[in-house]
Amino acid sequence: MSALHPFSLLAIAAALPAFAWILPAPGGGLATATLALVLALVPDVRAGARVVRVAVLTAAPFWLFLLLLHDLPTTVAMGLRITTMVASFAWLVAALPPDRLVEAMVARGWSLTLAYLFAATLSAVPVLKARARRIVEAQRCRGLSPRGSVANRLRALRALALPLVLSALHEVDERALALETRGMGSGVHRTPLAAPPDRPLERAARWALLLLCLAAVIWRLA
Amino acid sequence: MRTLGLDDVTFWYPATANPALENITLDVGPGDIVALVGRGGAGASTLLLVAAGLAPRVTGGRLAGTVSRGARAGIVLPTPWTQLSGMAFTVWDEVAFGPANLGWPGHAITRHVDHALERLEIVPLASRDPATLSGGELQRVIIAGILAMDPDLVLLDEPTAELDPEGARAVWRLVRSLAGEGKAVLLATSDVDALPDVADRIVWLEQGSVRAMGEPSLLAEDALCEAGLGTTVADLWRAAALPAPYPLTVVDAVQRWR
Repeated sequence: MSALHPFSLLAIAAALPAFAWILPAPGGGLATATLALVLALVPDVRAGARVVRVAVLTAAPFWLFLLLLHDLPTTVAMGLRITTMVASFAWLVAALPPDRLVEAMVARGWSLTLAYLFAATLSAVPVLKARARRIVEAQRCRGLSPRGSVANRLRALRALALPLVLSALHEVDERALALETRGMGSGVHRTPLAAPPDRPLERAARWALLLLCLAAVIWRLA
Repeated sequence: MRTLGLDDVTFWYPATANPALENITLDVGPGDIVALVGRGGAGASTLLLVAAGLAPRVTGGRLAGTVSRGARAGIVLPTPWTQLSGMAFTVWDEVAFGPANLGWPGHAITRHVDHALERLEIVPLASRDPATLSGGELQRVIIAGILAMDPDLVLLDEPTAELDPEGARAVWRLVRSLAGEGKAVLLATSDVDALPDVADRIVWLEQGSVRAMGEPSLLAEDALCEAGLGTTVADLWRAAALPAPYPLTVVDAVQRWR
């Protein structure tokens, strides 16, 4: 899976949610959600089991709210679609190293700033998780426990949220300065360091996915 | 000939009435090493941002006066982990991030990156993930990333803050060697004990203004010691109520003692 061109990974991650919404529920959603979760378990995806757990845990609250607002068939139909979206994104984050995406985009002539925006979105989740872990450890050293009663956990959450947001905002400033000084705003076309190979078969497969999506839309509208 | 010239520069950060820098005039020429010293908030970091052309262009704010740069500038900021590109999974790629952004051909990138890794003595780290490095290792990677871009004006903000004593000494040796190649170096540091052997000129900043400027012997003057900016040896000499002028370094003190 990691040998695939970044655009192919993006295409799969975009096609699965598209099919989930286009194909009739609940069968379509069930198939795409299952496929997205199974993709995460492909051996060379980093920490596949954890990706599945993150996807399921992230989708769970949506199921709960849907159940409160809708009947069971609607909940299942919408829930499976949302699960597909969440699982596809989680899989993409795990399977696609941001640097490969930047290299692929730059090699294709995209602007570095736009490529960075895409890649930064993918890398934001692990970065924020790592920072949150450090903040929790620091708060623990100062006697605040994130475990125990609901009140305790809420207190810990508040103590986590504020420094997390403030430090992220502070880092944005410094990172902007650092990127600028390292030539991000030079206006020159970046030299790709190791552009991932884009095989003709993969390009054809991406076009096929797009055509399949269009065909599915036409079929549903007919 | 000057690499950097600041003429009567005053700078205000956005939404502030008081300037962070006030009436700064400073020239840095090729081969010069100029060190900025001052207490926290004195304006040294801001001056480096202005010199790098990042303030007000990126930070926002307002600038009065003239800044002239005759060359490409590279700045190393004080916290290394916020300077990672986030786009590289090896140290080599991290160091190559800047040169690649400048659109250099592949062979030039390879040459400059390999040279920068050698200079910072981090060749063994080349294939490591930057996220797994210690603060000191990361600091050297960031410095290598800037040097790989071959700037003529090197701006360093607390370059040894994350380093152990040996790492700090290596960076100071590197600074001298950069100046030997004709690069202009402007740095801010609180490691004043290293400056007598490194800097050609000292600029003492206080509340955004230049309070004094001169040779490194300035660091042994009473006013700087009073402000907590003198070298350790000068401070000790002064604390012991020994007669001025105070020695600047251990070698000076030994000579005086004899």
